[in-house]
Amino acid sequence: MKPMRPLLCLVTLFATALAAPPTTPDGYALPQPGREFVFPRDHGSHPEFKIEWWYLTGHLYAEDGRRFGLQATFFRRADGTAEKGNIYLAHMALLDVKTGRFIHQERLNRAGWDASAAIGSLDVKCGPWSLRMDDAGLIHVIGSIRAEASFELALTPIKPLVVFGENGVSRKGADPSAASHYLTFPRLETRGTLSLGKEQLPVRGEMWMDHEMSSSQLDEGQVGWDWACLQLRDGREAMVYRMRRKDGTTDPFSTLAWIDPAGAVQQVGAKDFTLMPNGSWRSAQSGAEYPSGVVLSAIDPSSGKRVQWKLVPLAKDQELHGRITGIAYWEGACRILDEQENEIGSAFLELTGYTGDLKRSLR
Amino acid sequence: MNEAGLLRLLLRKFTLRHWRRGPGQAVLLVMILALGVAVYFSIRLANRAVLASFERFTDVLTHETDFVVSAPAGSLPETILPELRAALGARPVHMIPVIETTAARPRSDANAEIGSAETFRLIGIDLIGIQNLREEDTSAEPIRETWAGGVGNLNAIFVSPALTEQPGDRLPLLIDDRLVSLEIAGHIPARTNEPAAPASIIIMDLPAAQAITERRGQIDRVEFLVESGPDRAARRAEATKIVTDAAQGRWRVETSADRRESGAMMTRAFRLNLTVLSLIALLVGLYLIYQALDGAVLRRRQEIAILRSLGVEERTIQRAWLLESLLVGAVGGTLGALLGWAGAQFAVRFVGRTVNALYFANSADSAHLHFGEFAWTLVLSIAASIAAGWAPARTAAQMPPAQMIGRYHTAGPGPRLLRSRTLAVALIVLGALAAKLPALHLAGGTRVALGGFFAAGAWLFAGGIVSGHLLRGLGALVRPLGNLSPLARLAVSHLSPPSGRHRLAAASLACAIAMTAGMAILVGSFERTMQQWIATTFQADLYISSAGAQSASSQNRMMPATWQRLASDPAVADANVLHAADVVFPGGKSMVIGVNTQFDRQQGTVAWLGGTPTQWPDEGEFTFVSEAFVERFGTQRGDLLNVPTPSGTRALRVAGVFADYGSERGSVLIDRAKFVEWFREDAARTVIVKLRDPAVAESLRTKWLAENPGLQIFTNAHLRTEVLRIFRQTFSITYALEAIGVCVAVLGLALTLISVLLDRQADLTTLRALGVSRRGMAISAAMEGLGTALAGLLAGLAASLLLGWLLIHVINKQTFGWTLLLAVPWPALVLLAVLVLSAALIAAAIVGYWGAGLPADREE
Repeated sequence: MKPMRPLLCLVTLFATALAAPPTTPDGYALPQPGREFVFPRDHGSHPEFKIEWWYLTGHLYAEDGRRFGLQATFFRRADGTAEKGNIYLAHMALLDVKTGRFIHQERLNRAGWDASAAIGSLDVKCGPWSLRMDDAGLIHVIGSIRAEASFELALTPIKPLVVFGENGVSRKGADPSAASHYLTFPRLETRGTLSLGKEQLPVRGEMWMDHEMSSSQLDEGQVGWDWACLQLRDGREAMVYRMRRKDGTTDPFSTLAWIDPAGAVQQVGAKDFTLMPNGSWRSAQSGAEYPSGVVLSAIDPSSGKRVQWKLVPLAKDQELHGRITGIAYWEGACRILDEQENEIGSAFLELTGYTGDLKRSLR
Repeated sequence: MNEAGLLRLLLRKFTLRHWRRGPGQAVLLVMILALGVAVYFSIRLANRAVLASFERFTDVLTHETDFVVSAPAGSLPETILPELRAALGARPVHMIPVIETTAARPRSDANAEIGSAETFRLIGIDLIGIQNLREEDTSAEPIRETWAGGVGNLNAIFVSPALTEQPGDRLPLLIDDRLVSLEIAGHIPARTNEPAAPASIIIMDLPAAQAITERRGQIDRVEFLVESGPDRAARRAEATKIVTDAAQGRWRVETSADRRESGAMMTRAFRLNLTVLSLIALLVGLYLIYQALDGAVLRRRQEIAILRSLGVEERTIQRAWLLESLLVGAVGGTLGALLGWAGAQFAVRFVGRTVNALYFANSADSAHLHFGEFAWTLVLSIAASIAAGWAPARTAAQMPPAQMIGRYHTAGPGPRLLRSRTLAVALIVLGALAAKLPALHLAGGTRVALGGFFAAGAWLFAGGIVSGHLLRGLGALVRPLGNLSPLARLAVSHLSPPSGRHRLAAASLACAIAMTAGMAILVGSFERTMQQWIATTFQADLYISSAGAQSASSQNRMMPATWQRLASDPAVADANVLHAADVVFPGGKSMVIGVNTQFDRQQGTVAWLGGTPTQWPDEGEFTFVSEAFVERFGTQRGDLLNVPTPSGTRALRVAGVFADYGSERGSVLIDRAKFVEWFREDAARTVIVKLRDPAVAESLRTKWLAENPGLQIFTNAHLRTEVLRIFRQTFSITYALEAIGVCVAVLGLALTLISVLLDRQADLTTLRALGVSRRGMAISAAMEGLGTALAGLLAGLAASLLLGWLLIHVINKQTFGWTLLLAVPWPALVLLAVLVLSAALIAAAIVGYWGAGLPADREE
């Protein structure tokens, strides 16, 4: 899961209750336990929820071994009134690991001729960018970054889709309505073409795709989150998020989920893991000071032993500046190092709420 | 001493010394040139300012877009947008759909003049999508908050910071036939280091603009901006080709340069005519510079002789004189540019008003100093001054020293060219031949009457030559008057034969009078023609349109419910509902008008040219075209005309040609029912109403206005007055230009007399010794000036008749395509004659009085 992605999360909540009501006060659906997901229908849009996103991150390699970090994300947000309708926001980002060059672009469109998300199947568009699943289950991503780079990728799920959370509901805070339905393809074999300047590079690699729907996420007292997805070389994956509170503590609803090679999910709560900063890096663009990578400390279910894995960014500057939305955040490709500094997999790390104005921006 | 050093010495000791000793004359000479330059420069700056106000909103918000898609006729359906995006595929291109209309401030007085209400361009853009352009402008601050209040709010608008109203205020506006009150949600953001949006632009969210204009699902154009990055030019070319190839006749693709050009093209003929007119004063100034320098050569001949005898070469003498011309040109040009800049602040309003009435809404209210224009004007001024000074410089250089020594000298008979009868006849014949040449056709349907302009120049020069001969004849004629008094004899003696100086003064005056009177004849003829046209065309009782219709480019319409309610009023006997749409023909943009042809047939309200038609548009596939359309597109009666419409191209036979003095772009008339079907548009531009009882027109107007505050309603008499007022207003700037031309000529006459009196200092001393009073000398000079002015006036008036004919039948016809009846405004010409002669008399008397006080031994 991606605890809430920066721009979508709006609101905050009310008093803590034991069970989530069926809808928000403004009439949007709230995730309910036991929901039966039917595919491909549930890959498509769910306009009954206020916010929804499809989030792809991963690592790609050219034939000559050049490595790239790639992010392609699409958000839908209902803007509150019928006149306003849905707004679509999309981000594309690319890291060329060899040169350390990180480029990214934001795009914002209202629902209509230039942005849409189909109901009943995965078919999302925002300007010239698109994400679509064909009848054979192959996922196609088309994106670009200001004509400096463009890509057309075909993604094949090589592990089954997983649903995070208790009984289909992924909690983000004490308020039961601060939750989402969280569906993930944890490992997608990826092939395609990456155009970088005048270069046309055939690429292949592995990506991760989240699809979440929610209507109310941030809880009172939360200031941001650190999130990561890990693809391990032993065929397992992990997803972790730490909800950070104003006082610097970790919110109890933070979660670590292990996915075994067969796709079975084992989830633990905040008391069973830590995700702590590993040094810091200050952005010259936004002035924000981000962790320069994180350290995940938890009991590895495959060995039963505590592990301390470092997520080390492939470049320090992987900050998305938020020129349109005004919200900057850090989201970047990392390698995973074990205690002996051996690389045991690839990860993507997201760090939000470090610019100091997240609450205001999300209002 | 080398030549450069010598020239510097000559400049200091020779040229500038004379300037210092006779500063008044030097100042007058420079002022004459400055005035000529100022008029030209002010018109250039004003033209430029008006064109600059034809800007597109995207230039205000972001980088200039790369190309624009618009409909060949009417508007575009929104459904083409996904198709265009699909055609472009994943190519990173911003697409910006735009809807645009005009809006006006409501007027408190229903009888206020058309065009008096402030008019805005209301532009609907997607306020969410437009934020993506910020990715292209890396220097700007994020603008998340900027448009926040406008999205989804159907009444929110963004305005220029230059507007009086501020965010939070409400702005009442007339849009189509409704009066609405809109909330100002914020200011239009300016790009870093760019000027703020002009006050005439209002921005609204696209869906809100579509809703308020009741044009949901429609857009006027789509602007495309290829995203930044490598190979942008190639990607732009590729995107343009893809969009062009996908059009299949449904849309047209214009590059930014094309669109920028279109504003320039629309007004090219108008601006050219103004520029030519603005050159009158400069042309008159040239005559005067010539004669002033020639006079100076004459008066400084002794010094020249001394220089020559000291071994200064002819070449150096000539260069020293040319340097003096250059100085006059540079000082006059700079001063003129400054004066012109000030003048442009006034001229821009006149030019803007005319462009507003005839072409497009613009908000030009100030003209900025433009370096390129300044440089060009300075070059023109210096070149003109050097050209005028060329012959005097050569005379000075070539005169043998022996001839130059001697205290007494008089001006020669003037340049041979200005005395040649053969040349005058040749020029008149050449002009007549040039007038027969067809217009030069430029892109976009613009025509330039090159032959006509050549003929005008030739005849003006011929008029100058004739004026000299007239002066001579006049001198001979009035010689007997010399017996009346010694003063008269003195005056007559100077005119018979006239000096070159007198010839030049008369020629410059003739030039100014010819152009002024020629324009007066054109305007008089135009007004007479308009009156006849108005009498034929405006026969109905009430004329109704949106109160926002303030200029030729107004887009405001009357919704079907509104006009149907009015047309079905029991007091109405018959109504003609007019619809209009801009249409692009292969040769340029024009307009298709849907009318109730039966109404026109019954009421006889069309002024036909070439006979009443026998077939009417409601009887089959027929159309009528305006005279301007015929001139512009070369379509003749009987031709098959392909008319683009949103539902496909229609081939219509041209069954008649009608007079229309409202537009030089031309118009095509089709039947109303067909217009509604083909253009899918039932909103009307104008409704013309014939009442059962014309006597109730005023009371019905009052009632309808009370019920429909968004409409403007004219009675027949009021509309006729307004049409003529707008017409006269259109020509107001030409009057100003002519007046300056005449002023320059009269000033020139004064300068001539100063020059002549300086030549005659010795005579003046003798006359004083003989007891002639200062007053007597002033009277004598006044008579001399009057005679010179009379010769210039007569030659000028004669030339003006030719020019008037040329302007009406050649230049106007070829440029605008309007047939005008020749009508000479005699009272205006008589008034002009009286004014010029009086001014000349007074100026000459003043100069004469001054001259009488000159010391005998004063250098020039």
